Amino acid sequence: MARTLFIGLDGVTFTLLDELVRELPGEGVAMPFVAKLMREGFHAPLRSTAHPLTPPAWVSLITGRNPGHHGIFDFVRSEDRITDFYWTLSDRLDIRVESLWSIASRQGKRVVSLNFPMMSPPEPVNGCLVSGFVSWKHLRRNMTPDGLYDRIKAIPGFSAKELAWDFQRESQIGEEMTQAELEAWVDHHRPREEQWFRVAETLLAEDKPDLFAVMFDGTDKLQHQVWHVLDPRLIKNGMTDAEKRLRERVLGYYRRLDEYIARLAELAGPDARVFIASDHGFTASTEVVRINRYLGELGYLAWAENDGSATAKRREDANFAFLDWTKTLAFCPTPSSNGIVIRVANEPGHPGVPPEQYEAFRAKLIEDLLALRGPDGGQVITGVMKREDVFPGAAMHAAPDLTVTLRDHGFVSVRNRAPVVESRRIIAGTHHPDGIFIGYGPGVSNDHSRKLMNIVDVTPTLLYSLGLPVPQDFEGRVRDQMFTDEMFDENPVLFGPPTLPVTNARGAASSGVSEAERAKILEQLRALGYLEN
Amino acid sequence: MQAQEEISDTYNSSSTLASVIATIESIVQDWDLDQPVDASTRLVADLGFESIDLIQMAAALEQEFGRPNFSFADLLIVDGRYVDDLTVGQIAEALDARI
Repeated sequence: MARTLFIGLDGVTFTLLDELVRELPGEGVAMPFVAKLMREGFHAPLRSTAHPLTPPAWVSLITGRNPGHHGIFDFVRSEDRITDFYWTLSDRLDIRVESLWSIASRQGKRVVSLNFPMMSPPEPVNGCLVSGFVSWKHLRRNMTPDGLYDRIKAIPGFSAKELAWDFQRESQIGEEMTQAELEAWVDHHRPREEQWFRVAETLLAEDKPDLFAVMFDGTDKLQHQVWHVLDPRLIKNGMTDAEKRLRERVLGYYRRLDEYIARLAELAGPDARVFIASDHGFTASTEVVRINRYLGELGYLAWAENDGSATAKRREDANFAFLDWTKTLAFCPTPSSNGIVIRVANEPGHPGVPPEQYEAFRAKLIEDLLALRGPDGGQVITGVMKREDVFPGAAMHAAPDLTVTLRDHGFVSVRNRAPVVESRRIIAGTHHPDGIFIGYGPGVSNDHSRKLMNIVDVTPTLLYSLGLPVPQDFEGRVRDQMFTDEMFDENPVLFGPPTLPVTNARGAASSGVSEAERAKILEQLRALGYLEN
Repeated sequence: MQAQEEISDTYNSSSTLASVIATIESIVQDWDLDQPVDASTRLVADLGFESIDLIQMAAALEQEFGRPNFSFADLLIVDGRYVDDLTVGQIAEALDARI
């Protein structure tokens, strides 16, 4: 089977990409190589997870499972400690299902995986893996195998600080910025992508893996802040000179990104298949919705008292709900979650809703959420999803009880400020459910019907491209329209045993698989040839 | 190949401290610090730990000690408030108490 090159692009949408791959007056074609892939290959919109957020969506994309199975719902996870909440970052140990890297590795394929989120601490692979979204201070420990850090450090021009995730800087996403700050924002992210490209170029050329995957996330970071100069619907009536300058800077980023993709495809060779996918799409957010303020006004939650201490000030300014936990029944934990957690009092004296009242409480809460109106009188929350409907699976109970969709697809605010709904002074970029998928190379069709795919279709597609069977427990499939009839005739889609249980995940106990059972499964897979000795 | 790490549970007090020190030394090895790490080393005051470093340390110790459900909340929150600092020895003691 052909080498498989997978390029992840965080938050790319056809709304923008269709503009970047065509000739624009005075701007030319920003992404000519991607234009060629789309023109000569396959492309289709890719529907993200029920809540289109980077961590759950990328994990679905590289596990073939929905968040109800894999267990990642947000950047953070929390523990309800009755009188307080403990927040920490989600990581790879929260993932309850096997990854693409592991599935391919144990069947003898050589793998390189770069910059995918939630891969920290890294799992051993048959090749190299560098976790994404990691601070420079922890890069060495978050890549595998041993010695890889020193190898990467030897790449001319390598800078750990430029390549790594800067938590302080990225926390500015969503804040209003001046023109100078926006230009600096674009300039900050270009060297970071260059660093990842240099690492990618080196490992692809030297290791020649069967599966090479790299994720570029500058797309998302830029679009959040500069969407007002990118969305064709927003610029059709003209831009100021400052906006034109900013747009030219951003287009420079996309031109360079196109060169990275072209160079990696060239290195992969003419017989390689190239796939590009995004974890979600993008669109315009026009208003701020302070969901906890609304829940507070309705009596569902109580705010913590700020005692004037530095800790209280820090907690109040943080992107975590800062509440009086002894009096809070329902709340939104983080702006990224768009989720509402209902606290259930499982023991007498604990704060929360009595278990027998849960259903009625939730029904009233949904009614109240849907009743929120904006200054224009319009309905602000257009959808309220119950977790059992959108996140079925063993990890469902780690999901928020409810997930809301706003009318502009925006993320909520968890801060205690008025009013509840307010128009943004500058339109911001936000996540849209529909991202992109592109395929190109031997056996890939040139279907342009743009039939909607699902994010869980990506992993089976990549496994098929590698000549590997699709595990029975995958939720997605290889789409008929993506490959030619000749390709399917010569290489029918094979279905194999389910993925391996992940016994060291934090939620693995609920899988009910013992070490002895796991050993038996491993033995069976080895006998069937699905596992290297 | 086997993609999951093996889990070990054979620790005693002195080896726990040695393992915690080794883990923290591994975490800070690229930070250009001159500070040696021992039981009295304070994470924030001596090593300059930030919240993200505590999270990385918690994950590293979780892997090292093979405790999938180990919660650092007990260590980091005392009487409903986050503690200001922790010594390496306190972490080793807490791990010992919970093994």
